[in-house]
Amino acid sequence: MKKTPPLVRLVYVSRNRLSGDAATMEREVANILAVSRRNNVRAGVTGALLFNADCFAQTLEGRRDAVEAVFERIQCDPRHSDTVVLQLEQAVPAFADWSMAYGGRLDDERARFDRLSNDADQATRGAAADSVLALLRSVVSRALPALG
Amino acid sequence: MKTTAVHSHRLCAHCGSERAPGDVLTGLADRAMFADRLAASLSRRRGRSRRRPAAAEQPGGLAVLLIDLDRFKAVNDTLGHAAGDALLRAVAKRLRGALRAEDIAARLGGDEFAVLLAPPTTAESTAAIAERLVEMLSRPYLIDGGVATVGASVGAALCPGGGEVEAELLLRRADMAMYQAKNDGRGRYRLFEPAMQERAEARRKLEADLRAALALGQFELHYQPQINLATHRLTGFEALLRWRHPLRGMVPADSFIALAEELHLLPTIGEWVVRTACTDAIGWPGAPTVAVNVAAQQFQNGWLVPSIAAALQASGLPAARLELEVTESALLHNGSVAIEQLMALKALGVTISLDDFGTGYSSLTQLRSFAFDRVKIDRSFASDPAVARAVAALGASLGMRTTAEGVETAEQLNRLRAEGCTDAQGFLLSRPVPAADVVGVIDRFAIDGGVPGAPIPNFHEKSGTRKRERAA
Ligand SMILES: Cc1cc2nc3c(=O)[nH]c(=O)nc-3n(C[C@H](O)[C@H](O)[C@H](O)COP(=O)(O)O)c2cc1C
Repeated sequence: MKKTPPLVRLVYVSRNRLSGDAATMEREVANILAVSRRNNVRAGVTGALLFNADCFAQTLEGRRDAVEAVFERIQCDPRHSDTVVLQLEQAVPAFADWSMAYGGRLDDERARFDRLSNDADQATRGAAADSVLALLRSVVSRALPALG
Repeated sequence: MKTTAVHSHRLCAHCGSERAPGDVLTGLADRAMFADRLAASLSRRRGRSRRRPAAAEQPGGLAVLLIDLDRFKAVNDTLGHAAGDALLRAVAKRLRGALRAEDIAARLGGDEFAVLLAPPTTAESTAAIAERLVEMLSRPYLIDGGVATVGASVGAALCPGGGEVEAELLLRRADMAMYQAKNDGRGRYRLFEPAMQERAEARRKLEADLRAALALGQFELHYQPQINLATHRLTGFEALLRWRHPLRGMVPADSFIALAEELHLLPTIGEWVVRTACTDAIGWPGAPTVAVNVAAQQFQNGWLVPSIAAALQASGLPAARLELEVTESALLHNGSVAIEQLMALKALGVTISLDDFGTGYSSLTQLRSFAFDRVKIDRSFASDPAVARAVAALGASLGMRTTAEGVETAEQLNRLRAEGCTDAQGFLLSRPVPAADVVGVIDRFAIDGGVPGAPIPNFHEKSGTRKRERAA
C-alpha cells in the first residue's frame, strides 16, 4: 500500500522581525531567498515569498512530508514570529517553476496581514489565503522577469 | 543528544535492564537526568565561588525554566496520540534549537518540559530566552496533514552569579513563576519574584482553610427572593453559598468557588448545599421554591441524582419545591452525561433551570439540549431589553419561564416585564439574606407585594425603605 504522499500547498503569514533600514532588510531577505532556493531544490519544494516592514507571506508547495519539514525548519527562525497558517490543502503547485519565487517588498494595503491570528475562523483564513495567493501570483509574474 | 551523552547508563526502573538514559520519545534529558545535571551545575558553582575571594568577580548565574504546553490535551484528543507524540517531538526540536549547546533541555513527563540555562545567565538573558520560547513554541505545527497549535507557559527562576540556591528551591521557585504565568492567562512567561512566594503561601493557607471549612461548619446559605412579574408575588429563593471564616470574615464567593473547584471540593460542598437548602426550605411559610446551583463537577462522579433524592427524602421537601440551576458551561463540559442526569432529576419531580444564560458561547444549542423549565438571563443583560425580549420569546415558545437576574432598578424591572420576562431577581427586590431572615422577607412580600400590576415606582420606594431598615 505504498502511495506517494499527496502534493500540498501551505500558505502562511508571519511577523517580520528583521531590524535595520530598508537596504539592510532587503539584503537579509535576499540571504533568506538564497538559502531557501538551495534547500528547496534539494527538498523538492517550490513556492513564493513576499515581505514588507510588518510581515512575511509565503506559500510552500510539494510533497506533504517535504513541505512539513521545510516549514518546521522555518518555524525555528527568529527572523520572523507569530506565524499564522492560512491554508494547508492538497493542490497542484502554482509556482512549480520556482524553488522560491520572490514577490519583493510590498508595502501597500493589500499586504496587511498583521490582524490575522491562529484563532481566526476557517472562512476568514480561507479568504486570507486566497488573497495572499492572488497577491503572490500577481507580484511574482511581474517581478520575475526582472529578477532573471 | 550530545549534551547528555556523557552520562553513564542507568538501570531502567521498570524492567531492571540497562537502557540509554533520557527521554525516549524526544531524545531530551528526562526528569532524573535533569535533576542530576542541575545539582551538578549548582555544586560546581559552589566549589568555584568558595575558591574565590568574596570581592572577586562572581561566576555567572544559571536559570531553570519550566515549560508547560497549553491545550496539548486538546491536540491529543482531537488528532490522536500518535499526533500528540509527533507534536512533543517537534516541540523538543524547537526547544533544543533555541538553546546553546551547554544548556540542558528535558522533558519531565507528559507535556512538561524544563530547561537549564548554563552560566553565564542573567535575569535579562533568561527573560529574553523565555519570551522567545513562548513565541516559538506557540507557532503552528504541521502534523499528519493537519495544523496543530499549542501555547506555552513558562516559569523561570534564576540563581544569580554568586548566589546560592538549592536545586529543589530553584525548581519550586520556577514552579511558582509558572503558576503565575498560567494565572495571568497562559501563553506567557514569568520570572520568579519573592512576592510570588508570599502569594503561594497565602494560597496554600487559603487552600487548607477551605478544605477544613465544611467540617468546621463555616459555610452558610443566604437566600435571595425571586418574584413573579405578573403577580408580584414571591415565588421562591435562590440559595447562595457563603463562607464565614473566623479570621478572614465573610469570604466572597468569587474568591473561593474557583479554588474549591480546583481542589475538587465542589461535589462535597454541593451535596451539603442541597441538603441544607432542603432542610431550611421545609419550614418556610407559603411553600416557596428553593433554587440551588449545581456545579459542573457534580455531574462527574455519578453521585448527583442519588444525593439529591436522599436530600429530598431526608428533609421531606416535595421535589417540586426544589429547583436546580445548571450553567451552560457545566452542560458543555459534561455533554450527554449531564443531560441523562438532568432527565433523571426531572423524573424525580425537580425543576431544572438554565443559569447565567447568554454568557456561554453556544447558548441556543444549549437551550434545545434539554427541556428546561426555566431560563435565567445573566445579570449582564439586565439593562439590555433586546436580549431580554429575544430570550423571553424563545423561552415562551419552548415552554420555559424566563427569569431576569441582577435587577437593580424599578426602570429595569418595568422594561424586563414589558419585554416578556416572567420572573425577576435582584437587589431591587432584596439582597440575599441569611437563613434566619427568610421568614421576615416572606412576610414583607406578603404585605406589600402580591398586587397584579402594582405601580412600580411605589415598589422602588418600598424597596429603598427596606434596605434602610435592614441597614439600621
Ligand atoms: C520568512 C522566512 C521564509 C523562509 N523560507 C525558507 C524556505 O522556503 N526554505 C528554506 O530552506 N529556508 C527558509 N527560510 C530560512 C530557514 O528559516 C532557515 O534559516 C534555513 O532553512 C536554514 O538553512 P541552512 O541550515 O541550510 O542554513 C526562511 C526564513 C524566513 C524568515
